[in-house]
Amino acid sequence: MSPRRGPHLSFPEVGSIEGPLLEVEDLHTSFRTGRGLVRAVDGVSFTLGRGRTLGVVGESGSGKTVLSRSIMGLLPGSNVERSGMVRFSGHDLTTMSLPELREVWGMQVALVFQDPMTALNPVVRVGRQITESLRLRVGLDRKAAGETAVALLRSVGIPEPERRLRAYPHELSGGMRQRVMIAIALACGPKLLLADEPTTGLDVTVQAQILDLLAAQQRERHMGMILITHDLGVVANRTDDIIVMYAGRIVEQAPTVELFAHTRMPYTEALLRSIPRLDESSHTRLRAIPGRPPDLAAQVQGCRFAPRCPYVQDRCRAEEPPLRTAGQGHQFRCWYPVGSAEGDAALAHNVAARVPAALAFTGTRVRDAAMATPNGARRT
Amino acid sequence: MLRFAANRLFQLVVICFLISIFAFLLVHLLPGDPTLAILGPNDTPAARAVLLHQLGLNKGLLSQYGTWITNIFHGNLGASFLTKQTVTNALGVAVPIDLELIVVSQVLALIFAIPMALVAALRPNKAFDKVATTSTFGMLSLPTFVAGPLLVLVFAVTFKWVPATGFNRLSQGLGPNLKSVILPSVALAIGSITVYYRLLRADLIATLQEDYVTMARSKGLSTRYILLRHVMRPSSFSLLAGAGISIGTLFTGAFVVEVLFQLPGIGYQLVQAIYSRDYLVVQGMALVAAVAFVVVNFAVDFLLTVLDPRVRRA
Amino acid sequence: MAETLGATPATRRGKGLGVTFWICLAWVTLMILLAVLASVLPLKAPNFQDYSAVNVGPSAHHLLGTDDLGRDLLARVIFGSRVSLVIGFFPIAIGLVVGGLAGLLAGYRAGPTDTMLNAVSFVLLAFPALLAIMVIETFWKPVSLLKLTVMFAFVAAPLLFRVIRATTLSFASREFVVAARAMGAKTSRILLRELLPNIVPAAVSFALIGVATAIVLEGSLAFLGLSINLPTSSLGNIINDGVNSNNLSLNPYIALWPSLYIFLLLTALNLMADRLRSYFDVREVKL
Repeated sequence: MSPRRGPHLSFPEVGSIEGPLLEVEDLHTSFRTGRGLVRAVDGVSFTLGRGRTLGVVGESGSGKTVLSRSIMGLLPGSNVERSGMVRFSGHDLTTMSLPELREVWGMQVALVFQDPMTALNPVVRVGRQITESLRLRVGLDRKAAGETAVALLRSVGIPEPERRLRAYPHELSGGMRQRVMIAIALACGPKLLLADEPTTGLDVTVQAQILDLLAAQQRERHMGMILITHDLGVVANRTDDIIVMYAGRIVEQAPTVELFAHTRMPYTEALLRSIPRLDESSHTRLRAIPGRPPDLAAQVQGCRFAPRCPYVQDRCRAEEPPLRTAGQGHQFRCWYPVGSAEGDAALAHNVAARVPAALAFTGTRVRDAAMATPNGARRT
Repeated sequence: MLRFAANRLFQLVVICFLISIFAFLLVHLLPGDPTLAILGPNDTPAARAVLLHQLGLNKGLLSQYGTWITNIFHGNLGASFLTKQTVTNALGVAVPIDLELIVVSQVLALIFAIPMALVAALRPNKAFDKVATTSTFGMLSLPTFVAGPLLVLVFAVTFKWVPATGFNRLSQGLGPNLKSVILPSVALAIGSITVYYRLLRADLIATLQEDYVTMARSKGLSTRYILLRHVMRPSSFSLLAGAGISIGTLFTGAFVVEVLFQLPGIGYQLVQAIYSRDYLVVQGMALVAAVAFVVVNFAVDFLLTVLDPRVRRA
Repeated sequence: MAETLGATPATRRGKGLGVTFWICLAWVTLMILLAVLASVLPLKAPNFQDYSAVNVGPSAHHLLGTDDLGRDLLARVIFGSRVSLVIGFFPIAIGLVVGGLAGLLAGYRAGPTDTMLNAVSFVLLAFPALLAIMVIETFWKPVSLLKLTVMFAFVAAPLLFRVIRATTLSFASREFVVAARAMGAKTSRILLRELLPNIVPAAVSFALIGVATAIVLEGSLAFLGLSINLPTSSLGNIINDGVNSNNLSLNPYIALWPSLYIFLLLTALNLMADRLRSYFDVREVKL
């Protein structure tokens, strides 16, 4: 079966890319719903280089899944508004027609979905879900596609790959299904991999294996990778840069080492603190972030995190802080950042005034904790 | 798998038995003496006694039922008291007609319904969908006893393209056969189109929202491929179930069409038998029709289980 | 902007059932009112045969014309609609109460009673309803409105039983019911407050379709001459008269008006049923 003849877009080969692999500029994605306009992605910008890994961290409802779909252009057609620019390998994805996008999807950019149980077609055998891309996009014949599929399954660590080809998704375990998803995503050799919560729902040990697998594949194929997760532990020593999202916006952005060493945004700090630590006694109370994620349809003045922030002051509720740079590619959005004089004062003031969020904020602060060492492998 | 099939088969047999009892009781427990109707003006106590004995109606209910059932197992479904034709013979005439009607009408319905549903599901609530849904609604509101005569008026009386009544057997040639079958099939198909269209469309829309469809898109596969290889199969279950029910009910449900177009199918024969109080024929045909319905349903059920690997027992 | 396969459910502008729904409801109500008030409305006598005005088309004197026996068609249609409407609504109402309640209980309390009822309903349903009705009719003369209603109710009840049972089953296993039970709510409270509000829309939607089906069923019976005995003509009887070859070519109005009436009534019922169903379904689609 020869590959489909479609619009011909040229994508430079390995190693010959000049400039960043992916550039996202002021991306906005909103949904028109009965409740109003839901701003799921509200002005996101970042750059990703070839062979680099970016972590996107946020709670559910922060807009991170919509971000991945929005970058690819995989949004539903009606009731969606998207603006901004997404440049991949020199081509602007936001202005492409559907046939052009189809050329990109799978071959250049691949998405690993969050839940393999719903993302794999339950009535189609696993093997065909892998080989269909190989046959229709790459143009392999049935035999070659089958062999490649077996090799792919083996490379993602699935034992007895030949047998698995004929299996249905529900016949595989959770970990294996996730590996199959990764195999499918890698099948056509994409240059950019978007992994949406690749470890949610998996056993802890399996999580580590999957993440190692992703890292190994990325190294081998020299891909750019975006790891989307709600778990800071997952991105701790597996990413080069991290974006922290809240309410559809980037609230902090920095190289990983820097983010953990010099956290500035209180939300990030709270996230870090909420991770349970091995060296604490077993009855230590979890330091959850009080309150709930914000309603993305509501028009809010001021900082979106204000209702839950231990450092909140009047200015925060009135004016939304812009993204400010703090050197070394570190950007954050806060009037009273962690570790600054204003920040410390704000926190002390809140504790004295018995602001609930500040009171919940007990115990040692992030900067004093040993867990901030970047190489001290964060095992989830 | 085998045990599952055996289990279902057992259920099927039990239900068929229950149906036979029901059919039997239906005819025998009703008020009104069949002999009165059969004898008509010749009704004298003596004649009645003779008739009762002949028909075996003077024995107890249980023994009558027993005789009937035993006869069935010997292939003897009874005979019409009036025409003396055996039920089996009558069925031999009726069943091919019904089968042809069913096949032609359902194929017609599907030929229209499936493409319409596909197009509508791809762009729900847009122009095509609205038009299609409205027109199928209209078809839904046209009962066969209205649509049938209308078709006859237009095509048989006004244009004279096809005969208004009568059935031409295949042995008389494919042309005449199709001509005699096309109008009744269209009348039957009208109702089915709506049902199939709506079932399939609803299923398709639901399936198209599934994650695995988005995933298939994200692989850059074409819309046509995704529809045919990823979407049709999971969406066809409701359609299959609906088709099963349609086909099952059509064995008797087609009687309006059969009477209107004078096609001697099961429905037609049944109606005649009921008119003439030919109780044995009524019993026998009713049993066959009901059993056919149940068998088709079970077969469809079974097929659904086989097709859906999620439900399959390893 | 990238197109897509399928779409998210369209945003409902305005939270309502829609204009179409209310128009249909108004129409059906109007038809019911006309039928109920038929005797007091200024209509001609439906059975009065005026031989001087045979097969007259629509005119000032006879708004819809007359039939081959000189009877006013408008009056015949409206009086005839009484039968159709009664046959349509009453058996379904009875079936809803009897079969529906049984279905609710059976679906909630699965057990030996449920299995038995389910089996019984399956056998009852397997037997072609029309057949049973025809057989019963021929032996149980004379056919009256009451008898027809009862027979139809017997057919409707198992059907509604199964539908409501299935709906109840699908809701009973949901978490909010389990939660209510865990909080110690009594069965009756669960049935009334948790299950019933969720089941009613589906049940009503299905019942409306049932009404439409019953009306068609009666028409089919009339077609065979097995419906109400004349002179209380039902719409089906009128259509039956109107489609024999003489009348169809001479005076198509005889068949036309009752057919149109039935068509509009059925369309209204179907539209309402469909709107109800889709309105309450959308709630369950995840955004």
